[in-house]
Amino acid sequence: MSQTRPPQIVAFGGGGFSMEAGNPLLDDYVLSLAGRERPRVCFVPTASGDADHYIVRFYRTFAARCDATHISLFRRDRSAGSVDGDLEAHLLAQDVVYVGGGSVVSLLGAWRAHGLDRVLKAAWRRGVVLCGLSAGSLCWFSEAVTAFHGPPTVVRGLGLLPFSNCVHYDGEPARRAEYRRFVGDGVRPGFAAEDGAALHFVGRELRRVVSSRPRARAYRVEPAGGEVVETPLATSFLGQTQLAAA
Amino acid sequence: MPRGGDPTILAMGGGGFTMEPDNPALDDYLLSLVAAPEPRVLFLPTASGDPTAQIAAFYGRYSRCAAATHLSLFRRHGSARSLADIVLEQDAIYVGGGSMRNLLAIWAAHGLDELLVEAWRRGIVLAGPSAGAMCWFEAGVTRSGGPPEVIAGLGLLRGSFSVHADGEPERLPVWLAAVRDGRIPGGWAADDGVALLFSGRRMGRVVSSRPGAAALRADAVAGDLVRHRIEPELLGAAEDALGARAAPDDVRELRELRRAMRRG
Repeated sequence: MSQTRPPQIVAFGGGGFSMEAGNPLLDDYVLSLAGRERPRVCFVPTASGDADHYIVRFYRTFAARCDATHISLFRRDRSAGSVDGDLEAHLLAQDVVYVGGGSVVSLLGAWRAHGLDRVLKAAWRRGVVLCGLSAGSLCWFSEAVTAFHGPPTVVRGLGLLPFSNCVHYDGEPARRAEYRRFVGDGVRPGFAAEDGAALHFVGRELRRVVSSRPRARAYRVEPAGGEVVETPLATSFLGQTQLAAA
Repeated sequence: MPRGGDPTILAMGGGGFTMEPDNPALDDYLLSLVAAPEPRVLFLPTASGDPTAQIAAFYGRYSRCAAATHLSLFRRHGSARSLADIVLEQDAIYVGGGSMRNLLAIWAAHGLDELLVEAWRRGIVLAGPSAGAMCWFEAGVTRSGGPPEVIAGLGLLRGSFSVHADGEPERLPVWLAAVRDGRIPGGWAADDGVALLFSGRRMGRVVSSRPGAAALRADAVAGDLVRHRIEPELLGAAEDALGARAAPDDVRELRELRRAMRRG
């Protein structure tokens, strides 16, 4: 692993193997950042409770072209194929850490209990590409909008990215209004991403917005002149542009 | 025990529907502690990450004789109801086994630990095996990180609790050493199938779904371990003779009737 790689995070509003069967564009994009022909990719399915079906789908997608592994925080007493022993050393040796969706509140609780919050921060600093969708996007930001149980609320994430984040921005109309209201009420400015759109950060700067769907968008959401302004961000569709026109 | 009764906890060393698919003795015993004709029983599978098989096993055992629901902290439940509303309307709450460290951390992240303390105060019966039993005590022995190690619990019940004393014998020496050294308070260890019933903070009864299983009490006295074996009351055929608080006849009849209606 090169020591010169910058910290990178690719935060999907939704998408990748678990949401877009047959559309590998976002996952391919992440792998292209690894800088290695056969990248080491570790799946962290904590937010789903280490759901078996999710882990199987990860291996189906990545095992043929990556050194694919996963970490389970629920079955450490019987490894069941997951990495056991020194999780820190394993995570720091990866090219990509891929965080699955589910509940961001449960994710953060379990990570903190196992010290993974600290380990992932170190991995990020070393240039391990961190990525994920949904809860696997929200977790990297300072503040995250979640609507898992009951109405949307804001939770504190790991804070690697000093912004707020809202995912599935197109999926649930209520979220759009809630997020803007939160930002108006003092939640820090941030980024919203629709399903199929991904925010690529290098360090703490947004480098690029990419998408696996022609019409998927991401937005900067911030207060301006007494109201909350939502600015669409220039987005690069990763597929064939002919498809976009079709 | 009806809601509004004494705080009640049934702590199982192992057993119940997840471990004993053909032996409903502990589950029946739990239901006998609830007076409601159709008890509302909530399953919390948090410690195992809400696995489908465990949830299905819960419904397989409880949906015939209770208003059974589960609460997932990993998947959307499609309800806008607050956790407080869901938890505090129950007659009994069954906590599944798994990783105790994850269980407590995730409960705390959702504020569920405080709700469960409130549920206990209100007399909602709390029950569970393994992590779902140790979590109520001051300390337990978990394999959440692989090898067995001591872990703090919620502390509703005084003392420590160690589980699977026969099924996972590597836990017992870790527990005994921690008690002897004073790192954790004295307490109980239970074999699979053995459950301790607490009324308030008082340990009232030890029952078992299997012959031959037992509980162990251990305390440190002047740097030495003092321990004694507790013979449980065997549930099942001999239950009535032992004076179990079985459900009244009319309640049993109603449950049977509902069971028959569901089958039809």
